[in-house]
Amino acid sequence: MSTPLLHAEGIAKSFSGVPALTNGQLSLRAGTVHALCGGNGAGKSTLLNVLMGILQRDAGYVQIDGREVNFPSPHDALDTGIAMISQELEPVPDMTVAENIFLGREPRLMGALVDHRRMRLQAEQLLRELELHLPANARLGSLSIADMQMVEIARAISRDARVIIMDEPTSAIGERETELLFAAVERLKARGTGIIYVSHRMNELYRIADDYTIMRDGTFIETGAMADIDRHRLITTVLGKELDEEYAKYNRPGADTLLEVDDYGRGKDFERVSLDLKAGEILGIFGLMGSGRSEFLDALFGAAPAERGSARLRGAPFQPREPGDAMRAGIAYVTEDRKGSGLVMGASIKRNVTLASIPDVARNSLIHEGMEDAVATPFVERLQIKASSLDMPVKQMSGGNQQKVVLAKWLQTQPSILLLDEPTRGVDVGAKREIYAFMSEFARDDRAIIMTSSEIPEVLGMSDRVIVFRKGRISGELHGDELTQENLVRLSS
Amino acid sequence: MNQASSSATPTTSATDHRNRITGFLSDYGIIVAFIVLCVILSVVSPYFLGVNNLLNVLRQVSINGVLAIGMTFVILTRGIDLSVGSMMAFAAMVAASFAVVDSGMPLIVPLTLGLAAGLALGCVNGVMVARFAIPPFVMTLGMLSMARGLTYIYSDGMPISSLSPSFLWLGQGMVVGIPVPVILFAAVFMLAWFTLRYTTFGRYVYAVGGNPTAARLSGIKVSRITFSVYAISGLLCGLAGLMIAARTSAALPQAGVAYELDAIAAVVIGGTSLAGGKGRIVGTLFGVLIIGVINNGLDLLGVSSFYQQLVKGAIIVVAVMLDRSRLSNT
Amino acid sequence: MKTTLHRIAFTALATAISTSALAEDPLRIGAATYGLQGEFMQLWSNALEAHPAVLSGDVEVTVFDGRYDALVQSNQFDSMITRQYDAILFVPIDADACVAPVIKASAAGIPVVGSNTRCNTDQLASFVGSDDVLAGQMVAQQVIDQIGDNGKVVVLEGPIGQSAQIDRGEGIDKVLAENPGIEVLERRTANWSRAEALSLMENWLTAHRDEIGGVIAQNDEMAIGAIQAIIASGRSPNDIAIAGVDGITDALKAVTQEQMATILQDATAQAQGALDVALARLGKADEVPLSDIWERYPELEWAGGEADTYNIPWTLVDQDNVAELLEQRQ
Repeated sequence: MSTPLLHAEGIAKSFSGVPALTNGQLSLRAGTVHALCGGNGAGKSTLLNVLMGILQRDAGYVQIDGREVNFPSPHDALDTGIAMISQELEPVPDMTVAENIFLGREPRLMGALVDHRRMRLQAEQLLRELELHLPANARLGSLSIADMQMVEIARAISRDARVIIMDEPTSAIGERETELLFAAVERLKARGTGIIYVSHRMNELYRIADDYTIMRDGTFIETGAMADIDRHRLITTVLGKELDEEYAKYNRPGADTLLEVDDYGRGKDFERVSLDLKAGEILGIFGLMGSGRSEFLDALFGAAPAERGSARLRGAPFQPREPGDAMRAGIAYVTEDRKGSGLVMGASIKRNVTLASIPDVARNSLIHEGMEDAVATPFVERLQIKASSLDMPVKQMSGGNQQKVVLAKWLQTQPSILLLDEPTRGVDVGAKREIYAFMSEFARDDRAIIMTSSEIPEVLGMSDRVIVFRKGRISGELHGDELTQENLVRLSS
Repeated sequence: MNQASSSATPTTSATDHRNRITGFLSDYGIIVAFIVLCVILSVVSPYFLGVNNLLNVLRQVSINGVLAIGMTFVILTRGIDLSVGSMMAFAAMVAASFAVVDSGMPLIVPLTLGLAAGLALGCVNGVMVARFAIPPFVMTLGMLSMARGLTYIYSDGMPISSLSPSFLWLGQGMVVGIPVPVILFAAVFMLAWFTLRYTTFGRYVYAVGGNPTAARLSGIKVSRITFSVYAISGLLCGLAGLMIAARTSAALPQAGVAYELDAIAAVVIGGTSLAGGKGRIVGTLFGVLIIGVINNGLDLLGVSSFYQQLVKGAIIVVAVMLDRSRLSNT
Repeated sequence: MKTTLHRIAFTALATAISTSALAEDPLRIGAATYGLQGEFMQLWSNALEAHPAVLSGDVEVTVFDGRYDALVQSNQFDSMITRQYDAILFVPIDADACVAPVIKASAAGIPVVGSNTRCNTDQLASFVGSDDVLAGQMVAQQVIDQIGDNGKVVVLEGPIGQSAQIDRGEGIDKVLAENPGIEVLERRTANWSRAEALSLMENWLTAHRDEIGGVIAQNDEMAIGAIQAIIASGRSPNDIAIAGVDGITDALKAVTQEQMATILQDATAQAQGALDVALARLGKADEVPLSDIWERYPELEWAGGEADTYNIPWTLVDQDNVAELLEQRQ
């Protein structure tokens, strides 16, 4: 085999004495896509941050074209041709698309002035090449999250980077954008660019990756060609153990109607939404970004109340004006944005678990810490939350464990209806399964779940029935045999 | 995960040790800094450690202390209250106008009206920020000017003095050898500490500051909490107004100019994050004490007040720097 | 709007043909004060409103609040020039920043009479004020007269760089130079503020114990702050020689209790005298009633209003005259 484009070996990195990475290893060939696999906490992000010069390694070496390199800062990595599209978008919302793409290396006029015309023209050409129908002079903040992500990708490509790191690039974008991204990846491969690709979505890896490297507990486990490893072995190697069936489903919808929604509407977000939810049911709502699915859940929870239509809960009129109303009626809402609207990131596990039920752990408005521990402790076991202590800040936890804390917060309110918006976004394979198992356990007796997801296998695997949203309206309902990928795609686009 | 670590990172134990020290410093750094400061001052000035001097320091910081405690509540919710100095001056003026010797009013009248004046203005701040979503900086900047204007209107620009001895006791009296303003400050501190640590309201304040969206979606009435912290700040301005009028034997229309800066400085030195949701009232107490001890110490040493300003400013910056490094460590 | 325009037009016309007869409309005089937020400027502007020519309706005065900002004062000059006031009485915030507005106004043919605070320009029509250097001398002499040739004093100063601070400081220095037996223990600014002087004095009393024999304060507010610190420390202000400048009401009350001495700056004489001089420069001195200050201070030469400088004498307030002065304040 010829000299790899990028080769890293023996990379180690500790934080405050706690090792996050003990033996990172990765060999990327030019013109290939290399899947970097591992659960949350496996050390993937740490390794990537070392490669990008965001973190400084404690041990090991990195070679580009066989020559050892050292990046004191991300700027040096960029100069050497390594770019990263990260999970956390870092755009400047008040600048235009073109300005964002060329941020920090704007075309110059007479060495000092920004050549806006040339910048716009170059940006337009790039967007055309990527088949992105975005105006180069649009303000970035006015775009959807998916479009912003595509701009990030365009930015990395425009740098003529030889190595592009894509960390969960599809977690916030829809089917169409994913296809555009993959087309762009193919073109990059043809140009000899090497791509390190991180995703929890197995389907994607099998579609575009050539090689894989598996990491677990901060250590390199194995590497090889994607063609030589099957799905089952990949997952068990990542987890280090055998797995149950991926979508565990034990719940059975009953006959009783729990919730009826009649002709719901709000502004331009959604309208004429009518549906019902049976006891014991997991109702899937599928739709692309902007189809109104999250907005509909917001309305059901009273976070942004419906303006039109009515709802009945167990036969009684239900009209939530604020989250408290819905909570008292037994509804809980796990939003899609954990960090933004689910957790207080700087606060401890304990405090986040009791966030929605503070009066439960207080007597006469005085917090009773013993009660607080008593409330939080059982959830750690029940949901298998991995944490050294209940006083650990949630921002130090992996995505999967954070999501379990959000679930614990809501379970403490003893809801009968759980609204789950993208319940497994940014959650590793192992935790995903635990969440699925929890869902099917929850949706029994007189309880039920409404779940939205943009991940088709998840929607198909977990839902008893799926309602498809398109441009703010219901475009169809699928049961039993009708639950296929083709039908979902047809009704949603 | 831990097994492989010893070979890959031989410096683990050293970094661990260092980390434990920085961890201690960030948790108790403010107290350590305060003690170091006191030790230095007691070495260079023989008078510093005297009982009377320490009581002086406490008396001198008590007004800023009361303001800084209200400010802590506000800053914990990601807000800011720039109007404390003006609201204090207004409350002082209202109280004093009912406390002049020949007014014949019982003491309860100026006390109630002074507190009510502060509370009322605080409520205006609260309603505008919580209900009408005016950014706190803008609203309280407006109130800074409005409350000062009200003070001049109410007083015609003239000081009110000749206050009754019972009223002056609030600022100049002693109870078992401890100055009354110090007792008031201590009482407010204990109450605030208890509230933030043990009550549901305190928990709501942290939650709202930590993530207002998550708090709202968890059923917490965010606007009610936001309103409350500005009302609390106003009420404490009322109390500070009573204290300053009683201490200086007069309500002066220009009293309290720029006091908001010292209050904010104390909160920031005390480690409360301007980004909200993080901070402790004990930190504010020591922030207040540090500012007071520096002023007192430099006075004792006969250092020019120009240097006091320089030192105070530098300490604010260093405090925030330590805070930043703590954040990036975790 | 219409009447204003009419009035401006009429005034312009009247000025242009310089009518010998008494104008139908009253003379319009602008009074630019540095700020109305202290007791002294309140007394000054009240005295202006009480001038006989204003009461008789011959003169209409408009008092501007300079808000302690030289730029604000400059803008107010611009509008007074635009609106063609007949004359301007000027109490500047700063002796140098005031020069440009004065030149502008006098170029526009509007006489500017300075009052209270000096302005470093020869373009002033006249200046009616009191000599701050002399006040400094008097206040220092008062303290030294009480403690004798040998003793230790502290000096409380105004905001560094303000002309009153500089001039009063110069006077104090003169007296100190003549009295080598007097040792200055501390000399610091308390920014004219009672609260600041109170804290500063508390700390000095700690640092110097019973050494402090006298307090020379550049204004009364700071002297009163010092008295309160002395009382709070368990000492008696009657044992320490304290003197201040200005003669504010609280200081007069303190004089009745023999706690301090003060040098009265006569706001009434400064305000009314300035208006008298302005009227003389407008050629109206014979047609309208003038104030009685020229009779009250026989040593003050009227000179037909033609003099460049009128120094209103300072009055030492003692037991003999304090009751009468307090009466006038009611």
